[in-house]
Parts: sequence; structure tokens; C-alpha cells
Amino acid sequence: MTAPSLAMSGLFAGYVPGHPILRGVDLTAQSGRITVVLGPNGAGKSTLLKTAAGFLVPLRGSVMLGDTDIGHLPAHRHIALGIGLLPQGRSTFPDLSVYENIELGGWSMRSDRKRLAAAVEAVLTRYPHLRELRHRAAGSLSGGQQRAVEIARMLVPDPTVLLVDEPSVGLSPIVARQVYQELRALKAEGRTILLVDQDVRAAIAIADYVYVLGSGRNDVEGDRSAFEGDLGAMVRGWLGV
Amino acid sequence: MITHVLSIVADGVLLGLIYAITGLGLSLVLGVMGIVNVAHSAFVMLGSFLAFELFRRFGVDPVLAFVLALPVFFVLGTVVYRVVITRVQSAAQTQGLVAMFGLMVLIENLGTIVWTTDTRVVTAAYTNTSLEVGGVVLPYVRLIAGGLALLLIGAFWAFLRFTLTGRAIRAMAQNPEAARIVGVDIQRLSAVMFGLGIACAGAAGVALAMVFPFSPNTQVVWLAWAFLVVILGGLGNVANTLFAGVAVGLIQAVCTAVMPFDYVYLVLYVLLAVILTVRREGLSSAVRRTI
Repeated sequence: MTAPSLAMSGLFAGYVPGHPILRGVDLTAQSGRITVVLGPNGAGKSTLLKTAAGFLVPLRGSVMLGDTDIGHLPAHRHIALGIGLLPQGRSTFPDLSVYENIELGGWSMRSDRKRLAAAVEAVLTRYPHLRELRHRAAGSLSGGQQRAVEIARMLVPDPTVLLVDEPSVGLSPIVARQVYQELRALKAEGRTILLVDQDVRAAIAIADYVYVLGSGRNDVEGDRSAFEGDLGAMVRGWLGV
Repeated sequence: MITHVLSIVADGVLLGLIYAITGLGLSLVLGVMGIVNVAHSAFVMLGSFLAFELFRRFGVDPVLAFVLALPVFFVLGTVVYRVVITRVQSAAQTQGLVAMFGLMVLIENLGTIVWTTDTRVVTAAYTNTSLEVGGVVLPYVRLIAGGLALLLIGAFWAFLRFTLTGRAIRAMAQNPEAARIVGVDIQRLSAVMFGLGIACAGAAGVALAMVFPFSPNTQVVWLAWAFLVVILGGLGNVANTLFAGVAVGLIQAVCTAVMPFDYVYLVLYVLLAVILTVRREGLSSAVRRTI
């Protein structure tokens, strides 16, 4: 798999006109690598992912997928271009079965039902435990199982760029570890991953490159090695203690 | 005696099926999109007049008018969605409600200008004929209208359950944000959903025109029936809407048999009040339900 890079340059974005959350962020998620974005609450991490996923239109600046400017494309076009989003918190359709949830991940492939069926089958082969649960309502599953459904659903269209927002929130430590292992495996397949996380230690452990945002701007950045020292001091700095 | 009871039950069930499709579009649009479409019954009325005009001008049988109403009103619904709903959906819900109320008044008044307030009927070849089974008399027109309603309900149920678009509509009702994440174009699918709701309204109007006399003002009574079905059956659930419609039909049939007709509506409205009192949260909680 040859995944494109995802680059944001001079990015301004926000929810209220005149009050941008992101104020000139420059960031590149390199092809086939895991790029982690850290920062205190309110730094603009989730806003960054929402903008990259097409849920927010940049006020200024660009979002480039390879050579294509995708900043002003609606969210549903991003999927077709190979971008997948794993959002923070629960995002399953609780009354639909596991199979129906996963199948909807291939909504962008709906005009080619054979291809869609094959893609769902491939995902169920990848996650055999979900095949056993396929008739269960997604809302009846544990938090970890629902996370697996969400990951499986994201992978149906075989995205090359993954946007991941705090994947371990609400999960037990064991399940959270499995999620990070899965992210490593997805990177090993050549996918570009942009990971926003509050779990600094876990995120840096799988990162190739790290950006730290502060108040909607770039603060510091560097390879993982630059951040493997005293993480506690960095977090204390964010908290101002 | 048994024959009489069976006749009442059959009459109630057939009527109930028509009531069910009268409420179905309202229920789905409210359940999936959170839009209280008080103009729903105005589209039901337009469906009745579509059947009336097609029959009067071209001799088109109401059964064919029922089928024709579906695409015609689907397109009409998507246009209304694009022109009206998209402009008010980001505003407060009361603003949307007022907009739909305005649309209802507009359609009713246009109907009055075009067709006056005279009461109309659609008299097909089979209108005054009946099927008798073991002494139970079943008017063909009710059998046909009820059968068409049942077919439409079945089609909606199957569509929502077995097609990818139907599942996407259910997904949108349950978690619109997640639906966007998987690539669903919410605006487009909402237009489809609203179109389907209005298609259902138009078809219900044809079915009602086969059974009842109507005028542009009758839509207010139909709106009450539709809301009664929705409140009794909950939102967005096709099967529950079917049962609620049949329940309303049965109650009406029984009341008609045992009391003067004027009291029938009284009973139905008291029932509406009782349900709203018992289910204190009313429609607002129903909006949160899923399909």
C-alpha cells in the first residue's frame, strides 16, 4: 500500500466565525508513518482532526492529501479519497447489527455491491471475533467490542490515511493496549496515521513523529526520541503545575 | 351476533391499515429527522385530490393513482425539503414548526381556491360492491385500500430493514454524526427520507379518498388521526405504526357500532389526551427513539 501524506499548512479553523480554534497550524502526517498530535485540553487537537476529515471547513490555510487540496471538500468526499476517521467516544449505530454497522462503513462503495460484500468479508476475516458477533445489536456489545466494530467499519473502504481521535477513551487498559497494537499493525500495512491523543505515554510509544499544540498553534515537534524523556514534566507544563 | 362482531373487526382493521399509512410518513420524518411536519396532512389532502382529478379527468382507477402518487409526491417532498426544510433546519425547532404550519395553511388555502370547500368523493366501479365471506360483508373499496396500505407498509418495512439505503436512514436516526463519518451525505439522505414521508402521505390521501368523502378542510381531521397513530405507536417504527393504526381503526369501528357517530371523534380525541397525559414527555422523548 502506498499511502499519501496529509499536510496542513497555515490552518485556521473553528466553530464560531471570528474565533478560530486553530490559528495557523502547520503539520504533516508523513506517508506510512504514525504522526501524533498532543496538547492540553483546548489546544485544538480534535478541531484539527475534524478539519482534516472534512467536518469543518478551514477559515484559512490548506489541507493537502498528496497533491490534492481537500480542505473544502465535504466529509463524504474524504472517504472516497481514502481517508478514514475513528472518532472519540462511541460511534456505533446501537440498534443495527454488527454486520450492518460494518457494512455501512462501505457506504461510499454502494454502487458496486460485489466489491462492498467482498470488502466486508475481508474485514470480518481480519477480525474473526466480529464474525461471531455479526448478528448482535452493536449497542449490546462491550466498550472494547464496539471499538473493534468501529475500527472494522472504518477499514471497509480500505482507507490509506487514518485519522484517529483518542482511541483509548473509556476502554480498559488491556483493550486500550490492543487498540494501540492494532494501530501499529495498520501502520505496518503502509497506512498514514494521524493520531490525536490524551494518553501521552501510549501515543508516544507508537509515534514516529510528534507535534504538540498549544492554544491552537504549533508549540514543539520532533521525532519520538525527542519526547521519550521526562513526559511527566511536559504534562505538568500543560497543566501549569 | 358473531357475524356482526367480525364485520366490525374487519372494518376496523381495514380502516386501521389506511390510518397506519396516514401516520407512517409523519412518524418516519419525525423519528428520523426530528421534524414535526404539521403540513403532512395537507399532502394527504393533495393525494386525495390527485386521485379525484385523475379519476374525473382521465378515468384513472384509484389503485393506479395510489401507485402514481408515490413518485409524484416523492419528488414533491424532496423539493419541499430543498426549498423549505434546509432553510429552517438549523434554526430553533419552533421556527421549523411555524414554517411547516405556514406550509399547511398555504396548501389548504390553495386547495380551497382550486377545489372550493365542497365535499368530493371518488366513485370507482367497485365503490358500492362488497365481498361477503361467511356472512361478513367486506366492501371492496376498503379491502382494496386496506390491501394497498398493507403493501406499502410492508414495502417501507422491507426497505428500512433490507436495503443499504434503508439501513443508512436507520443509522442516521440513531447517530447522525457517525453516519457522516461513514460517508453518508446527510442532506441528500434527509431529502430522500422526507420525500418518502411525503410519498407515503400522498398515497395515504389516495387510499382515504377511496373510502371517505373529503374537502381541502378535511386535512385537519386527518392530521389528528395521523398524530394519534404516531403518539400511540411511537416514532419511526413501521411495525408499531401498523399496530397503532389498526388499534385506532378498531376503536373507531367499535365506537361507530355502539354510539352515535358524533361521539366517535370525541372518543378518539379523549384517547389522544389520555395517551399524552400518560406519556407525559409527549413527542419530545419520542424524537430520541430510534428505528
